[in-house]
Amino acid sequence: MQGPLIDTLVRQGVSRRTFLKYCATLASMMALPPSAGLAMAEAMAASRRPSVIWLPFQECTGCTESITRSHSPTIEGMIFDMISLDYQETLMAAAGFQAEEALHNAMKDNYGKYLLIIDGSIPLGVDGAYSCIAGRSNLELLKEAAKGAAAIVAMGSCASFGGIPKANPNPTGAVSVSDIIKDKPIVNIPGCPPIPVVMTGVLAHYLTFGSLPELDDKGRPKAFFGETIHDRCYRRPFYDQGKFAKTFDDEGARNGWCLFELGCKGPVTHNACATAKWNGGTSWPVESGHGCLGCSEPDFWDAGGFYKALSMPADPLKIAAAAAVVGVGAGVAVSFANRAKKGAAKKAHETTTLEDLEK
Amino acid sequence: MSLDAIPIHVINTLPVGPGLTGNAPPLLHEISELLRHLLATGETAAIDLSALPLTPADLDWLHDKLGEGEIGVTLQASGESTLNETACPGVWWVTHHNEQGAVTSQFIEVAFVPELVKAHPQDVASGQEYLELMIADL
Repeated sequence: MQGPLIDTLVRQGVSRRTFLKYCATLASMMALPPSAGLAMAEAMAASRRPSVIWLPFQECTGCTESITRSHSPTIEGMIFDMISLDYQETLMAAAGFQAEEALHNAMKDNYGKYLLIIDGSIPLGVDGAYSCIAGRSNLELLKEAAKGAAAIVAMGSCASFGGIPKANPNPTGAVSVSDIIKDKPIVNIPGCPPIPVVMTGVLAHYLTFGSLPELDDKGRPKAFFGETIHDRCYRRPFYDQGKFAKTFDDEGARNGWCLFELGCKGPVTHNACATAKWNGGTSWPVESGHGCLGCSEPDFWDAGGFYKALSMPADPLKIAAAAAVVGVGAGVAVSFANRAKKGAAKKAHETTTLEDLEK
Repeated sequence: MSLDAIPIHVINTLPVGPGLTGNAPPLLHEISELLRHLLATGETAAIDLSALPLTPADLDWLHDKLGEGEIGVTLQASGESTLNETACPGVWWVTHHNEQGAVTSQFIEVAFVPELVKAHPQDVASGQEYLELMIADL
């Protein structure tokens, strides 16, 4: 294991064993075979610093928070030192003309080679006037910065799919990066916010292999988004055995059974929460007793109630329409299912019910 | 439909207990196969425990079955890591923790000595350099 990166790390007091341990964990998170850890360590150790430009658009800074607040100081943080982050408005000290100059210099000096990270959606309404930086619209900035980029990373659900700004009725006309840029490789790292290690993993892949990782049909790295939350959930065996929590405080909930009937979107959500977890590996939504919201899927905000089971029709308007057409059909079935649940909850003397949450 | 209704008799019932899923016992067969492979070819292997649907109770069950061996290695490298030999020599239970003490990854490694325990030649070289400098200063 030799090269510029490991030499820098060793100088900073990071031992080879620490680096190996980090790579073993990273390989595990990327669902690579355990032997890949060593191979990654060797390739990454020998890599060089690429220039990275990070532009925030219509966003809440949650993505930046997620990345920078991953328990510090970490080796993840050090990997970030391994890239030359030439422009990041939230983190950099420079402001005003100086900052814009730094951006233009970085784009000029590394033309065709830099990695462009975008967080936030791009509003197209009123000529993009909803979100401007230095008097220029996000659309204009994106087009300019994308021109010289080797590849683009769309960080978070907003940049990947439009996210919450795009939620119905989408007042600003928000769109994703891939709606605008068509001629560059784009990696989507959705999540609201995305998992820090996914970001590091993509960077590690870029450093290790000099290319972007393999992507799925929604432009997400397969290593992290290849399987659903449900596939990797530690509560999955209870789903297979038909053991479900029916309310948030019944016996099933206390026993840690599957949260499917409480609206968990795990079966249709591709993300790495189940393996990577959150807050430095402390826990993740399902482990803390709440179903997955599906935040890494397109339009998760408009995908029906968070507490409606996936087997239930998601859109209440569609249910009404279907019921009107079919006559009794769907509507009756749904209300019947709800009534059955209510009855069961009453019998178990529960205080919180699905109906309460859906009110 | 219960199992009684079909003419199949289950001989090896899965371990039962709170939180046990029955996913752990097959791993013992896999470990046994990996050990056979290690003896035959000298090739090491690992099982990524965090990649498998195992509940904490399953992991405890597996840990209990594999038992404690003679050697335990503790590594202090951005959080503690433990590499403990199980009662089956050549089977190591490897747990990586972060600085906060949370488990970041967990493996069963089948090897004579886990890779992490070995010193890297480069590190040995700088250790030797340090030693020579120290001797020169005596």
